[in-house]
Amino acid sequence: MIMKFKARLALVSLVVLIMFLLHNSFWLWGLDDKIPLLFGFMPFAFSYYVGYAVLSVLAMKLVIDLAWPDPTKEVVESFTDGERSV
Amino acid sequence: MNSVIGIGILISYVVILIAIGAYGARITLKTREDYFLAGRGLGSIAIFMALFASNITAFTIIGHAGLAYQVGYGAYGYVIGWSIFITPFTYYLVGYRSWLLGKRYGYATQPQVFGGIFNSRLIGLVFTVLLLYYTLPYLVVSIIGGSLAFTTISEGAVPYWLASMVIIGISLVYTIPAGMRGTVWTDIFQGTIFLVVAMLLLFAVARSLGGFSEITGRIIESNPAMLQRNLSPAIAPVNWFSFTFTNSIAVIVFPQMYTRILAARSSRNLKRVSLYYPLALAGIFGVSTLLGVWGSVAVPGLVGKDADYIVPMLIQQYLTPAWTILGLVVILAIVKSSIDSQLLSVSHIVIDDLLPWFRRVSTGQAVIWGRMLLVVFAAIAYYVALVRPAAILNIAAFAFSGFSVMLPVMIGALYWPRATRQGAFAALIIPAVMLHLWYLGVLPASTTFGFMPVFPAFMLAIVILIVVSYLTPAPSPEQKEKTFGLFEKVFK
Repeated sequence: MIMKFKARLALVSLVVLIMFLLHNSFWLWGLDDKIPLLFGFMPFAFSYYVGYAVLSVLAMKLVIDLAWPDPTKEVVESFTDGERSV
Repeated sequence: MNSVIGIGILISYVVILIAIGAYGARITLKTREDYFLAGRGLGSIAIFMALFASNITAFTIIGHAGLAYQVGYGAYGYVIGWSIFITPFTYYLVGYRSWLLGKRYGYATQPQVFGGIFNSRLIGLVFTVLLLYYTLPYLVVSIIGGSLAFTTISEGAVPYWLASMVIIGISLVYTIPAGMRGTVWTDIFQGTIFLVVAMLLLFAVARSLGGFSEITGRIIESNPAMLQRNLSPAIAPVNWFSFTFTNSIAVIVFPQMYTRILAARSSRNLKRVSLYYPLALAGIFGVSTLLGVWGSVAVPGLVGKDADYIVPMLIQQYLTPAWTILGLVVILAIVKSSIDSQLLSVSHIVIDDLLPWFRRVSTGQAVIWGRMLLVVFAAIAYYVALVRPAAILNIAAFAFSGFSVMLPVMIGALYWPRATRQGAFAALIIPAVMLHLWYLGVLPASTTFGFMPVFPAFMLAIVILIVVSYLTPAPSPEQKEKTFGLFEKVFK
């Protein structure tokens, strides 16, 4: 079972890598003056990140579905939720 | 008439904040947990707005718009592009595991979480010192930036010293009585204000400049370089790449952000925040970028630091005086929502993690001491903001980098059972020293191989953590079980 979670964590790493590459996509910079304005006022250098924001929501959804389990009942019952002695 | 309405808006705004503080104080229990962590009961909207409002500082409408004015639309991706994804992702990567440990063992700050994982008071102390060292100058710079903007937008009617006093004073009015509950509730109010007003501001400026398409057409005609990232040396690929290791990944290390994650009521609340956070970040920085770029043709000729005040200038020159008042409210909301949480978190760390080295602090005393420390830190921050000593400003200049290079240890502690306290100690200290040597010019710039110093320092932290951990005895099974035993029950 632990291996299974590790495999899902590997997929999450892949998602992060893809998002990192999409952000550092210098090879696309040459398109900055070639792609038409989005909605008449967003040049590519700007609209690219509007799209990136939407993609980020989808990526976070994938991360949550893949590797963000809620704590089990047993774990919740172990929560102290109280004062830590200092 | 306008001034009467304006003063009315300002007074209403302050009265609402005071009312929130007073009501928060009535239901805040005099316990450490309730005062500093709102009883770990923050719901989705509260945690979302608390993180978002603390994340957005004066830089968003001052420094960022100024950069967009100078380099064009590329400033958007350069400053916030990677943050759009990675900042909410770190709420999962670091935040969720820390939250689990906080719920299980009662940890309330980074020194407690990471000192607890390594079973080392020394690691806790190193976290305490580094977090205070970087947060205090950053707090002062937030006050300076906000006060200058306040003075600019009021056309000098509110002098700098008074602006600083107003910003700090109003923050204290609700933070002292209501603690984290006060800061979070006001964040919901203030975050809503600056999101809504920023959008309205964008449309108002666009309208006065002839419309979205018209102003964009003028930019293409007069300065087409603003559209092309390849033509801006300031955001050249090597800087762009280095910058991905600076502000975006530093956010989760800020104590005011980290503590708020620990205060979430449930895992589901954190998931919702992480899911929708990209849209809020992209939205507010998108507005700031557009205003900055439009400013380059609407108010041309600004050079260097003068460009930072392009948004206040646009408001003054193109909008009615009523907008000036709204602009002041937005500045106040943005600046205060950051500094109140910074003030509270530094007080919290001192009470919980520094003071116990010298004396035992009961839970009731912690709240009293916390309130007194808020006043003390606010007074110090005010004095330093007036004097503006170069040493403080120099530290603030690389505070983001300092926070960033602490992240490898935080991730290592939460994911790698073989990480040792010796490895963590070395990986916290050595990269921090190297950052200082690079930023203060002791080491030549060539030793960073063309990157910003944060990148080699970040890599150094990873290497040191791994090498020193393998060279030192592995943590005991009991120590590992305490942290990773819990994780194994959740991440199956």
